[in-house]
Amino acid sequence: MIDSKEIALTRKCLESALEKGAQKVRVTLNKSIMDLVGTLNGELDKTSHCLDRSLSISLLVDGRYGSFSTNRIEDTDSFLDKAIDKARMLAADEFRTLPAPERTAKDAVEGTELGLYDPGYPNTDAQKRIETALKASIFKSAPEGLISEETEYTESISDTLILDSNGLYCRHTETSFDYGVEMTVMDGQGNKFSGYWWDSSPWRNKLDTSVICPTALERARAQINPLPHPGGKTNLVLDTEVASRVLSPVLKALSAYSIQQNNSFLTGKLGQKVFPDGMTIIDDCRVPGQSGSRLFDSEGVATRTIPIIENGVVKQYFVNTYMAGKMGMEPNIESATRPRVVPWPRAGLTRQDILEMCGNGILVTGFNGGNSNSSTGDFSYGIEGFAFENGKITHPVREMLITGNFLTLWNNLIAAGEDARSCMSKLIPTLAFSNVDFSA
Amino acid sequence: MIYDKGYYLDTFRVTEPVLENLIQCARHSGGDYADLFFENTVYSDLLLRDGQVASGGLHTDFGVGIRVLKGEKTGYAYTESTDPEAMMQAAKAAATISLQGGVGAPGAQASAGRHCGRPNPAADRYPMEQDWREARASAFVPMLEKLQKLIEQKESRVIKVIAMLSSQVSDILMFNSFGELKYDTRPMGSITVSVIFKQGDIVENKSASRSWRTGAEMITDALLEEIADEAVADIDARFQAIRPKGGKMSVVMGAGASGILLHEAMGHAFEADFNRKGQSVFSDKMGKRICGKGITIVDDGTIRGNRGSINFDDELVAGQRTAMVEDGVLTSYLHDRISANYYGVPPTGNGRRESFRYHPIPRMRCTYMESGNAKPQDIIASVKKGIFVDQFSNGQVKIGEGDFTFYVKSGYLIENGRLGAPVKDINIIGNGPAALADIRMVADDLIIDPGTWTCGKEQSVPVSCGIPTVLVDNLTVGGE
Repeated sequence: MIDSKEIALTRKCLESALEKGAQKVRVTLNKSIMDLVGTLNGELDKTSHCLDRSLSISLLVDGRYGSFSTNRIEDTDSFLDKAIDKARMLAADEFRTLPAPERTAKDAVEGTELGLYDPGYPNTDAQKRIETALKASIFKSAPEGLISEETEYTESISDTLILDSNGLYCRHTETSFDYGVEMTVMDGQGNKFSGYWWDSSPWRNKLDTSVICPTALERARAQINPLPHPGGKTNLVLDTEVASRVLSPVLKALSAYSIQQNNSFLTGKLGQKVFPDGMTIIDDCRVPGQSGSRLFDSEGVATRTIPIIENGVVKQYFVNTYMAGKMGMEPNIESATRPRVVPWPRAGLTRQDILEMCGNGILVTGFNGGNSNSSTGDFSYGIEGFAFENGKITHPVREMLITGNFLTLWNNLIAAGEDARSCMSKLIPTLAFSNVDFSA
Repeated sequence: MIYDKGYYLDTFRVTEPVLENLIQCARHSGGDYADLFFENTVYSDLLLRDGQVASGGLHTDFGVGIRVLKGEKTGYAYTESTDPEAMMQAAKAAATISLQGGVGAPGAQASAGRHCGRPNPAADRYPMEQDWREARASAFVPMLEKLQKLIEQKESRVIKVIAMLSSQVSDILMFNSFGELKYDTRPMGSITVSVIFKQGDIVENKSASRSWRTGAEMITDALLEEIADEAVADIDARFQAIRPKGGKMSVVMGAGASGILLHEAMGHAFEADFNRKGQSVFSDKMGKRICGKGITIVDDGTIRGNRGSINFDDELVAGQRTAMVEDGVLTSYLHDRISANYYGVPPTGNGRRESFRYHPIPRMRCTYMESGNAKPQDIIASVKKGIFVDQFSNGQVKIGEGDFTFYVKSGYLIENGRLGAPVKDINIIGNGPAALADIRMVADDLIIDPGTWTCGKEQSVPVSCGIPTVLVDNLTVGGE
């Protein structure tokens, strides 16, 4: 989708920056097209067509670094003058540099190497998209209690090209077909409950839109008639849809930036066993055909399939080129690309298996506000979900909180399922933890 | 700041006949209404970290969004070029919506027509003596360095200071199928500082920010002093703070930044799109009492220089002050043109968007509760057991259910009418309508918070919020 003229413009921008006085330059061209169809209560509600192109330009000028962007890609001359002028006003930073060529990706030239591009993407039109969105709606079948159904169907393509003055050339092209639904139902007392569900695929014919509205409706209805829960310490089972809430802070704490800023509860833990035996997370970033896979990061550095945490041992900090220089560490990758939690204590566990394994507790299906302290790992989140006893859901719960510390939480890991959704960029399955503090 | 019409036409390389042609093209297949939103934004930022301003940037964003309405249905497309052919293609893409036979509310077009707004300029709410686009970054680098020094001088436990100055100026030109032409230059300056403190092995952090729709003249020595004072204020309390025992109790919201709870837990549910779709907990409450007498809640786009203020909204409706709750009764939702047509009322100037890449939807501006008659000290004195909260973060609300949760950044226990131990790491959870109904006292000390508030409903738009000291009974405080 990025055409030869746009590649030439990107290269011209890079060369112009060098001619104007920059010593090192990286230019990233991002181009995307998105078509969206929204429906409301079974009727067409909105359509939109979006076409974006922009150049992101990183400049090193006399040891000074600036980050710039413009979407007027045919007309960068005066913009580069201003950018270089601004960079010269900043303090010199000896650690800013481009990644060494041997660290960069060499296998991402066409953009389609990972198989995330659907060649059938162009073979559609606005009318077909509208038909797809309307066909998946169930509002007109008048499901009991449903008062609002809002859906969005999108088809998109994104294309990224990175060039730098060390000769880097990386490209990633990806199509995406997405359908998301918000259902609102009302109970006999006039109380409203909402449920959301979505799915996504790089291929049009692999997106099954027919199950999404019924799933969202089921999730909304399941919340009717919540009952008070006394709280206390009990088992927490975390739905795969929201499980990233307890993993993302761990990944953030492994970032060299967080550590350098004294803002990580995993400072000084590299190579140490701080998590339980059952916790293994792999950056599974080069799987062809899988959403979230990437061959390079935003610097053009080649991704690698590596353990992040292995049997509880911290194996990886995420160190980009800049932080490596600043902290005197070996550079690797700027962040986890497609982290995957490895099933434990055995493969193949579903959510129901895990509920039965836990016996009693609370299944959390949604978070509502709250916060975590990145320097201590303490957290406090509002939650909603379901109480369960003897492995069976008994009633919805809401207006509850969980509080604790991420290190303690993960050390109380009971199980990690094998039901992560492939449409998500973080492959986190149903998780279960013991001894979690709930309050109501 | 408003330049003359020619400046905007030249910026976007268009003429009035070109605008009219585009509107005709957008409506060619039967659209009831169409509008054009041209934007040229220049963003600039400087970042101080590790003791020096060694990072900065400049960003430009240029384009036009074209919207077609068919009844309540929206067709939207945008282009990053104002080349006539590119704009015509976008207009045709937006017109797709009117090929689908949508049926509008009776009299929709006529209703929209009655609310064309005022001629340009309706107001000039953005004081800008020095245009950020003409200001040299070299003038601000020493100011950020000075801010760090001030903070370090005021508090010995500081181990890191991260300060950011960001600015943007947007030239906006709008035209619609009523033949209205509006234009605006919207400045915004923001300065934010995050400070990390260490005492023994304990690390704490605090932040402070200021943001206004003004020019570069906002950066003064006095402002730096003010921010530095706020960044280190009450740090002893942070280190001493405890996580209290939780339960249902009275909560006193401190004046100012606590207004974010009003924005999240109540304000969103007053936005008319959620009500039109039947999703809001307030969708059947218009004209009904939803809280005690004496309580008035306002969304105001008219405060000069305020981060949420607008001369016009992003669909050419004049900025205004909208009372959503008057004396305890729900009197108005926040409308864009679509919801105004649906309800048969004038739009309230709340049709806002992040940029030309988005179509407008109902959004808040500056949302606050008006002052009451009580004295703040009397409110605290009235509480036997509860907590006083003056800063929240990470609030979230479920629009349909009205349930909300807010993380308390700083607060104090109240015991027998007096402030006691500082508290932290707790959440307050409740239900919007129930919390409104449980407001018992409102003080006479309304503060509009000057911080960098951004609302993230589908799109990011700048807002602000405020509240006087308020007593709410029966909120759940999650602690030990």
